[in-house]
Amino acid sequence: MAPILEVKDLNAGYGRFHILFDLNFKVDEKEILIVVGPNGSGKSTTLKAIFGIAKVYSGGIIYRGEDITRLPPHEKAKKGLAYLPQTNNVFAELTVEENLRMAGYTLPPDVVDERVRTVLESFPFLKSKLHDKAKSLSGGQRQLLAMAMTLIREPDLMMFDEPTAGLAPIAAKEVVEKILWLRNDLGKTIILVEQNAKLGLEIGDNALLLVSGRIAYYGSAKDLLANKDLGRLYLGLAK
Amino acid sequence: MAAGISLYFLMASIGYASALGLLSMGLSLTFVTTKVANFAHGTIAMIGGITTLFLIDRYMYNVKGLPLFVTSALAGFIIAGVTAVVLYLVILKPLADRGSDVIGLMIATFAIDIMLQSILSMILNLAHGKHFPKLFGASVQSWDVTLNCCGTQIAESHVFLPVAAIILTILFHLFLTKTKFGIAMRATIENPDLAEVMGVNTKAVYTISWFISGALAGLAGALLVFSLKDTSPNNSNLIIVSIFAGSILGGLGNVYWGLIGGFLIGLAEKLGTQLLNLFYNNYLAPSLHLPPFSFVNYEKLMSLGLVIIVLLTAPQGLAGIDWGGLLSRMGLKTARSRKPEREV
Amino acid sequence: MIQNPFTETWILLVLVYIIVTISLNLEAGFTGIPNFGKAVFVFMGAWAAQGIGIRLAAYLLEKTDPGLAAEALKHLQEIGIGTYKSLVQAAGDTDANRIVVTSYIYPYFQHHLALAALLFTAVLAIALALSAAMGLFASFAAVRLREEYLAILLLSFSELMVMVIFQQTTSLNGGPQGIWAMRFGSNGLRTALILAAVFAAITFLYAEKLANSPMGRAMRAVRDDEIAAGVYGRDVARIRLKVIMVSSMIAALAGLAFIQATPSTVSMGFDRVKWTFFPWAYLILGGMANNVGAVLGTVIFLILQRLVQLLPVYISGTSTTIMTIIPYLSNILVGVIIILVLYFRPQGILPEKPSKTVDFHRILVEEGE
Ligand SMILES: Nc1ncnc2c1ncn2[C@@H]1O[C@H](COP(=O)(O)OP(=O)(O)OP(=O)(O)O)[C@@H](O)[C@H]1O
Ligand SMILES: [Mg+2]
Repeated sequence: MAPILEVKDLNAGYGRFHILFDLNFKVDEKEILIVVGPNGSGKSTTLKAIFGIAKVYSGGIIYRGEDITRLPPHEKAKKGLAYLPQTNNVFAELTVEENLRMAGYTLPPDVVDERVRTVLESFPFLKSKLHDKAKSLSGGQRQLLAMAMTLIREPDLMMFDEPTAGLAPIAAKEVVEKILWLRNDLGKTIILVEQNAKLGLEIGDNALLLVSGRIAYYGSAKDLLANKDLGRLYLGLAK
Repeated sequence: MAAGISLYFLMASIGYASALGLLSMGLSLTFVTTKVANFAHGTIAMIGGITTLFLIDRYMYNVKGLPLFVTSALAGFIIAGVTAVVLYLVILKPLADRGSDVIGLMIATFAIDIMLQSILSMILNLAHGKHFPKLFGASVQSWDVTLNCCGTQIAESHVFLPVAAIILTILFHLFLTKTKFGIAMRATIENPDLAEVMGVNTKAVYTISWFISGALAGLAGALLVFSLKDTSPNNSNLIIVSIFAGSILGGLGNVYWGLIGGFLIGLAEKLGTQLLNLFYNNYLAPSLHLPPFSFVNYEKLMSLGLVIIVLLTAPQGLAGIDWGGLLSRMGLKTARSRKPEREV
Repeated sequence: MIQNPFTETWILLVLVYIIVTISLNLEAGFTGIPNFGKAVFVFMGAWAAQGIGIRLAAYLLEKTDPGLAAEALKHLQEIGIGTYKSLVQAAGDTDANRIVVTSYIYPYFQHHLALAALLFTAVLAIALALSAAMGLFASFAAVRLREEYLAILLLSFSELMVMVIFQQTTSLNGGPQGIWAMRFGSNGLRTALILAAVFAAITFLYAEKLANSPMGRAMRAVRDDEIAAGVYGRDVARIRLKVIMVSSMIAALAGLAFIQATPSTVSMGFDRVKWTFFPWAYLILGGMANNVGAVLGTVIFLILQRLVQLLPVYISGTSTTIMTIIPYLSNILVGVIIILVLYFRPQGILPEKPSKTVDFHRILVEEGE
């Protein structure tokens, strides 16, 4: 089976700041790819480059066999990609309902109604908060709202940037469970940037270890978890 | 009325304050969307004023009252709105796209202000006697019908202005909360990148915000003209100070508070000054043997004074005040634990 | 015969504007302070010679030659202008000012040079102190806030001072009629030229020295990244305040020199187009944060404005319509040029010279935020 996403010789950055060097990897249908690495190693930039927010200098991004390297973000969204930024991923001043509707901005109104209803079934806690401003939600609830928002557009490939950052363990667990549910029950493909390497590598199929914008490891997540040298060097994994 | 403030003056103050509310609201709007502090806003309002003069001179010399107000307001709304859009698309947006910083954009609006004022002055200079023959030397105030109300007289435009301001504010609020584009506008104001990710055409949002801002200014200007004694474009010279004062009082980053800030500044300038005048000359001066003093010519200083006080005590303006916490501390409301987050 | 367009008056304008533009450069160019209220600081220099200087002159005259002062008061009474208690009062009054100044004060100080020198020193000191104090007062409320606040506050302050307070309060500066300023020497234009030339030279040398000093580097650090500058131990607000006060003093020098040639200018004459916007335009054309650029921009623009002003003379004699719209056309031209410069060459004709300042952004990026 052809991979859903293929990244070839990707060089990207911001203006004159060249951050990513020659990245090569692919993601198969229904795979969870975990991206790990030290702070500032380019994890977020990788997702941004794929989604078209960071500048791609050279290389290609192939989605379902089609070259989408130069498409603007909202075109990529239409094709089925979704990207959840690391921070500011909901509109704090808008109500929960308005946030969900914004997520379906490019869809016809009746479709949005329908999808909001479906998504609310999966995130029942949002139902009682529909008319609250998003800034009144807790950090974990916000991540879940952001996740619900990406689901409105029924994407196939979802990219999450550290959705558990700053969350209490219980809330983080809830978010991780939701990600597993997305893959297992809804059949989504997922690229997950995760600060907590142990947590991430346990649920991931493959892992990508970035160091200073280059790939230091790419392969099975379980193997990386077991790899003492890399683990200790870059991921702060004990033993 | 008691204390020497007539109903006519009270309504005039409210009319002026309403216009200032619309002006400050529009200024705040383009500031929160495009990050431009628009120094030309007062002159854009003046375009509405000139429109009124033109209409009266050409077509509505014998029309008075409501039909005249509605026509002038609509014409000012559209012409100033279109002007603002053109200024944004032709000058400010290209500059912003080229990476002009905050100061660059401010100086650009400063330049726009001076160009617009020069054009308006030129029109008026050439127009007097030639293009606006009937208005030469006339006061537009006389087109403002006075109503007999409550045993005294008030001017119609002073009733029309607050009513128009209320209607427009309600419409604008409905637009922002009930329409898809309005919600997208609020989303863009908060986080343009995320809005873009959601598929919002933020360029269109910015353009519309300039239209609304200019249109509200044009409408306010078209109606304010009825309170002016003469038709010099210098009249817009100082109103920019009051508009900015209103926006800063409101917090500079919030449209609704901009409206309230502008309204309060308007009241302070007119009513506040008058009250100060009465208090000083009727009570303070006689009892302390101070010479009488007329504060009326200094009404604009009210706005500067208020701005300095706000910047020193609560630079986030009225929008930054934790009203819920304030009420609960005064025992008027049960406290809510969460603190309002700072707007970015 | 075609007249020489570049008269002494024009040269005076060039010198005076060089002073104002360089002082704006210290604020806007080097420190990133958007001073949109330049006009009031220029006016403060003028007012030191006008509202204050002329009263001081009257006071000195009254003290050193009471007989002459009494004679002047009697003269005023005789020609029916009014009865005044003192020469100081008469000098500050719009009705009596002109006669007192031209017939008594000017001639008196032309013959008492030591006294004139004393008076000049006092007026200069007052101009500097007053303008610095105004700079402090106009900006302290916003000096810790974002640039927009500072810009708005300075604009509002300047407009209200010039257009409301000084316009409405006749006792300060004669209000709309104005009063004549203390003029030194027998030829106002010549005095103005000498003063402006000396002040301009001092200003230029000072600005160049400041730009290359540690203070200059601190100013650029504040401009380029105020948060980083704060992190690295610079008190951003203090630096801004200092620069505003110093620049205001320099702007006052321009006002003091200018008023010598045009002693009867009213406060409204210091409007925001001429004394705030024009210096900004000159600076942007010449190049922000480059003092030579500031001078160059001023000269180029003033040549251009002069040519536009003389346009009707060269084209078709004088048509009144064209005469009335010429100033407006000139303003529009300045606006258009500024927007074109901002678009096509935002760094101006002479860009900022590369300096040895540390790029705070670089450090932050390299240190990983
Ligand atoms: N907008 C930007 N402009 C310039 N450089 C940037 C920008 N955003 C990030 N960088 C730089 O790019 C590098 C990689 O950043 P990135 O956000 O991808 O790291 P990350 O691996 O996601 O780190 P973290 O774990 O802290 O989220 C860093 O050196 C950062 O300073
Ligand atoms: Mg990151």
